[in-house]
Amino acid sequence: MLARVADSMYWMARYIERAEHTARLLAVKLESMVEQSPEEAEASWVRVHAGLTGEPFKHARADAFEIVRETAFDPLNHSSLVSCLGFARDNARQVREQLSTEVWEHLNRLYLRLRTVTVESIWVHQPSVFFRDVLEDLFTLGGVTYTTLRHGEGWHFLELGRFIERAQLVSRLLDIHFGLAPGYAQPLPAPKYFDWLVLLKFCTAFEPYSREYTATIRPEKIVEFLLFDAEFPHSVRFAVDRLREALEHVAPGAPPARRSGCERLSGRLKAAVDYGQIDDLGSVSVNRFLTDIARQCEQVHDAVYAAYIAYDAETVL
Amino acid sequence: MQHGAGMKELTRAEAVSGPLGAAPFGNYVLGPAYDEMFTPDGGLRPNYAALGERLASLPADELNRRQQACEQSFLYQGITFTVYSDSKATERIIPTDLLPRIVTAAEWARVEAGLKQRIAALNLFLRDIYSDGRVLKDGIVPRKMILGSKHYRREMRGVPVPHGAYVNVCGTDLVRRADGTFVVLEDNLRVPSGVSYMLANRDVVRRAFPGVFRAARVKPIEHYPLELLATLKSLAPFHDDVSIAVLSPGVFNSAYFEHAFLARQMGVELVEGRDLLVNDNVVYARTTSGLKRIDVIYRRVDDDFVDPLNFREDSSLGVAGLFNAYRAGNVALANALGTGVADDKAIYAYVPRLIRYYLSEEPLIENVETFLCREPAQLSHVLANLEKLVVKAVGESGGYGMLVGPHASVAEREAFAAKVKADPENYIAQPTIQLSTAPTFIDGSVEARHVDLRPFILCGEETRIVPGGLTRVALRKGSLVVNSSQGGGSKDTWVLSE
Repeated sequence: MLARVADSMYWMARYIERAEHTARLLAVKLESMVEQSPEEAEASWVRVHAGLTGEPFKHARADAFEIVRETAFDPLNHSSLVSCLGFARDNARQVREQLSTEVWEHLNRLYLRLRTVTVESIWVHQPSVFFRDVLEDLFTLGGVTYTTLRHGEGWHFLELGRFIERAQLVSRLLDIHFGLAPGYAQPLPAPKYFDWLVLLKFCTAFEPYSREYTATIRPEKIVEFLLFDAEFPHSVRFAVDRLREALEHVAPGAPPARRSGCERLSGRLKAAVDYGQIDDLGSVSVNRFLTDIARQCEQVHDAVYAAYIAYDAETVL
Repeated sequence: MQHGAGMKELTRAEAVSGPLGAAPFGNYVLGPAYDEMFTPDGGLRPNYAALGERLASLPADELNRRQQACEQSFLYQGITFTVYSDSKATERIIPTDLLPRIVTAAEWARVEAGLKQRIAALNLFLRDIYSDGRVLKDGIVPRKMILGSKHYRREMRGVPVPHGAYVNVCGTDLVRRADGTFVVLEDNLRVPSGVSYMLANRDVVRRAFPGVFRAARVKPIEHYPLELLATLKSLAPFHDDVSIAVLSPGVFNSAYFEHAFLARQMGVELVEGRDLLVNDNVVYARTTSGLKRIDVIYRRVDDDFVDPLNFREDSSLGVAGLFNAYRAGNVALANALGTGVADDKAIYAYVPRLIRYYLSEEPLIENVETFLCREPAQLSHVLANLEKLVVKAVGESGGYGMLVGPHASVAEREAFAAKVKADPENYIAQPTIQLSTAPTFIDGSVEARHVDLRPFILCGEETRIVPGGLTRVALRKGSLVVNSSQGGGSKDTWVLSE
């Protein structure tokens, strides 16, 4: 596979994952805000904003309408839903000949439809319904991709991008619920029962969590579940396992010497989530652990680029 | 490309019986040009009988619905080109007209034979001018005209080209004269585009008129990518495990959809210049697993941009060292470099002579009549008939350096005559050309619009032509300009089996 193609497949998947994350956070948040007091809702919106942008909060107050506009529809915000789908589509266009017609047309249609939507137009009805519809479309896209694309190298680059992104997004979301959201002046009120419930829903985790631990909401169990559960698709450990698998299948012709960097780093990351444990729910310990996971994901990304995508041609001649 | 000028005002055909005059043909106006569907007295030509009946039986909003479905399908498939304005890039579809242009089997047989003959002569000519130059020594074509052409590539002299096929993909623009015969308007021997529209149009139009399509026994065209693949394979320096790539300038090129489409349909790699590198005169693609050798490149990048070492230094689209690898015979390029010398306006006029010279045959498809001002007898004819002719400077394009005689004032004609007399070698002249008209779906009814036809000729070890081509249509009423940048669209082209 061409190195440039691998690059586009990888980023296409990352942006689609980010779009899915955004749509889900907004849908869940919009659905749940009616049950919160104004102060709680505001703190919760600030956390959503941080989870989606990683940027300092610039609004005077946490206004749902403005945050949805910024995180879903603002074309100048590069992590907004519409931007993410636009970038995913741009990358897909770059590798149009590698994708099935079904995958391309589904993504293209979704993007073209979304481009004409504004926050005003969804606000007159139930805005959460719009994001649920987008999620449905993204699930369909996932299914179409799984079922029409050859599970060859390109597909493994998609998997790699998807799960690196997921590991980072879930880590960031947990991080925000355990400490200061980055760049914020004053500390947010500590998450309450309802916030933990919503956190699970942000990760489609409420039902699987309840089956595992019953519906009793305990922050340490939530962290354990979202970080270390081996079988839940939105846990960090699950994502790391998938990205390890994907790494075994990409660049099948590359010699062992070129593979070693990625293997070592992804192995270390896997060890961290396989054998990791959180004893102390103090924000320092949790934040340190999550920061380390996020940093290791970055290192895997850099190693993949150095070995397979942005390598110097002189080194392989 | 401007197809001459000087259109007469069209007059509505009077007192016609049959479908002409009734919905959806109420606005269908027959002019002096040949009409593809109707005879001059308003009767349906036999090849259009089934379609004509179907159209007459469909409610107007049903036609509208099918046209919209067809446009939406293009949008979803991403068959778009990008228009850049005020820092904002918008994607537009190239308008596709729902109504097919129908060519009979007998007409096609003649066109096909004529195109094969023409490409054979042009390839022999290219081989000749890049080797012995016999045609120049024999005085058939002026030496100065070839060696002075900016498309002549001195670097190509003596470079062996597989099967002598310099032009592997040719798009020849044909128009129909008022008497119904096809003539060649232009040869496109460099990087002709449009074949993806030919295939995409077929796809949507077949769905819009399944019954008529089945009954008409239209010759298939879907095998074009396979034929192209076979042509490219036949150029490989060796024959086992040939690795082929389509070289595109990238996603911002207006024909990017086509590049990706062809690569996907052929099952070959789509590459950009930045994916390739040359080491020791061998071309490689950068893959995730390392470098992979490339043997044949279907390049959709112009000569000038192919290799910054040999041609334009500022090109970022090309591959440094590609030309040396090519000259060493380690990679085949389709089309070969330097083919542009054979499709400029002046050489065009010589093609009938080239056919006679190389093949000892009479041309099966004629040119549009062209006067070469460099020949004294023709010059005096041109000067005496300036008010009827379109005079063009050979080296110019896009309507520059051109006199449209029927529209020019006496003073303009006199001024232009002086320029022609001062430098006759630089000018050719043609009568104004009437393109044929074909039924086109316009705002809920069917009207006559001017069309041309671009068939695609493939030439490697053998010459193959997929029956049909891209019919381009000037959507503006009375316009003769079929270019997509100027209000042109395209149509499916049906070649009937019998």
